Amino acid sequence: MSKSILATGFLFVFGAGLSMNALAQAKPDVIVKQRQAVMTLQGKYFGPLVAVAQGKAPYNAAAVQRNAGFLDNLSRMAWDGFDPSTRNEKSRALPAVYDNNAKFKEYTSRLENETSTLVTLSRGGDEAAVKAQIGAVGKVCGACHDDFRSK
Amino acid sequence: MFLAVGPARAGLLFCAALLACALNAFAQGDAKRGAYLAQAGGCAGCHTEAKKDAVPYAGGRELKTPFGTFYGPNITPHAEAGIGRWSEADFLRALRSGVRPDGAHYFPAFPYPSFTLITDADARDLWAFFRSLPADARNNRPHELRAPYGWRFLVGPWKWMFFTPGPYQADAARSAVANRGAYLVEALGHCGECHSPRNFLGGTKRERRLAGAAEGPEGKSVPNLTPAKLKKWDDRDLKEFLSSGITPDGDVPAETMGEVIRNTTSQLAAEDLSAVIAYLRALPAIPDEPR
Repeated sequence: MSKSILATGFLFVFGAGLSMNALAQAKPDVIVKQRQAVMTLQGKYFGPLVAVAQGKAPYNAAAVQRNAGFLDNLSRMAWDGFDPSTRNEKSRALPAVYDNNAKFKEYTSRLENETSTLVTLSRGGDEAAVKAQIGAVGKVCGACHDDFRSK
Repeated sequence: MFLAVGPARAGLLFCAALLACALNAFAQGDAKRGAYLAQAGGCAGCHTEAKKDAVPYAGGRELKTPFGTFYGPNITPHAEAGIGRWSEADFLRALRSGVRPDGAHYFPAFPYPSFTLITDADARDLWAFFRSLPADARNNRPHELRAPYGWRFLVGPWKWMFFTPGPYQADAARSAVANRGAYLVEALGHCGECHSPRNFLGGTKRERRLAGAAEGPEGKSVPNLTPAKLKKWDDRDLKEFLSSGITPDGDVPAETMGEVIRNTTSQLAAEDLSAVIAYLRALPAIPDEPR
């Protein structure tokens, strides 16, 4: 049992290392395409949550949990795609992403925290808290788009 | 005979008094309507601090512009900290002419080039609403402006060049709905203050009105609202965006607009929101500025 956990852990660490390597070798245009795919999917799972938060769609706990979980995973996936090699690729990312990277990272970790909280809340029974948290997630999205995405 | 006229004259006087009362009530302004107009005007955006539990309209929001940082003042009826000593006429003059009660010019960070278009009746309702707020003692913070922009007397010539006072005049070439939309967009909503490019003196470029700006008031790009850009969205998408704050594909706008959606566009009555969209649709299509 403990052996299999160790093995899983090893595979996980090793696997993560591998995928990082693979990423470092991907061409800039591919990296951009991938990170944009992540952003697109965040929209796919966030949109329905907003409808729930605003009372335009019924509160379905299972669906909210599922979307929150997907969103939480996705909220971690895009950031290594903002690799300096992609700076001159055509995208809406502003140079500030690289010139003011500390602030960019502050936003990305804030989003990760907010989506984690959303997952936790979605497993509890407090619908009002979940709805408020959906708003909080949206505000971080928008705050980062303010500074780091062209309109 | 004299006696016979007496009651008639009294009756006439009574009628005149009633009429005066009615006129007075009409002129008084309706605070409830004013509350709606304040939302449509997005007043809270600049006149409320950007933090949790901030007192609405007690001022404090910073607006960082290329000319320096402005701080929205307290507009609650507090006698010292707010506008408690103002008269209704002072308030109407501030909106219409961009001058303080003491006659000095306001910096156009206060969007009076838009607010001048507000009708007297609406301005009175706004005034009634602001009078109804609880007075808050939060003190104003002085603006921090770069020379020479901080020299208030220079605002006089600026106004001469870029400011045309006077209420909105309906355009006969537009439908009634589009005229209502124009009033909401241009007067109350002051959308053009951010969505139009400015020249180096901070005057908006009229020929590119609402066509977006590569560098908006806070140095960030602002999107084009003319059909050149908006044609990709149908009315339902636009309505959904301006009421829910999310695009049809789940995308979230920059928070500067997110706040405008929460405070203003999502609060508009359905027919007003439709009017806004009708007006935007009727604008001449102007392609984006080359960047």
